[in-house]
Amino acid sequence: MKSVFYLLDTAPYGSEKAFGILNAATVCLNEMSVTVGLYGDGVYLAAAGQDSKKLGVPNLSDILYAYGELRVLVHEPSLVERNLFGENLIETLELTDEENFFEAMESSDCVVLL
Amino acid sequence: MKTLTIVLTDGPYISEYAEIAYKLADAALKKYNVNIFLYLDGVHIPKKGQNPSVFTNAGQLFSRLAEKGVVIRACARCAGARGYTPEKDIINGSNCKDYFPGIKITSIYELSEMLSKSDRVVSLSR
Repeated sequence: MKSVFYLLDTAPYGSEKAFGILNAATVCLNEMSVTVGLYGDGVYLAAAGQDSKKLGVPNLSDILYAYGELRVLVHEPSLVERNLFGENLIETLELTDEENFFEAMESSDCVVLL
Repeated sequence: MKTLTIVLTDGPYISEYAEIAYKLADAALKKYNVNIFLYLDGVHIPKKGQNPSVFTNAGQLFSRLAEKGVVIRACARCAGARGYTPEKDIINGSNCKDYFPGIKITSIYELSEMLSKSDRVVSLSR
């Protein structure tokens, strides 16, 4: 496999999944082309200005800022459904429509859903 | 021979994924080298001493796979978070006294290596 697509469809902080996906994705960067796709509630990870201090867990947006080479696609219709479209989002992320999101999944050698 | 990697994130019994992964891996062994990477709650699967009263013992199933040559590894961060500690010594193919033989705790970088060397990847997660 030369490329992997990690699909996140759950909100950050409610479970370990978003952290788990980012951890797995970043360690794969040396060996593979890596894309993280934020879909459904996963798009909440795209919000700028996250502050997780009171939760006692790592700030996941810091990981996104630290790994600018990580390609992160944000499913635009999911943003719209959650009234997040037009909100302040992390600048390094790419907004994509339905077609381009699934094309990115299809063109990857494997899709890993956590 | 081609390689199949299965990624599991659920613990045993909360879903059927451990049992499904066992069946997939067992069948795939005829044509594939098989890896299983245990991530997040998946690291509970190979724990010794499970006694599910009405379910098949998931740890024993995975122990059988390891005996047949399936490479089963558990993420070190996830394992540490859940109380499974890797030891320096490897006894019966395992570096964790709480795990069945043949199943090791390892760095998450091994996931990257497994994926990059695989021809097929299956992830089972809720």
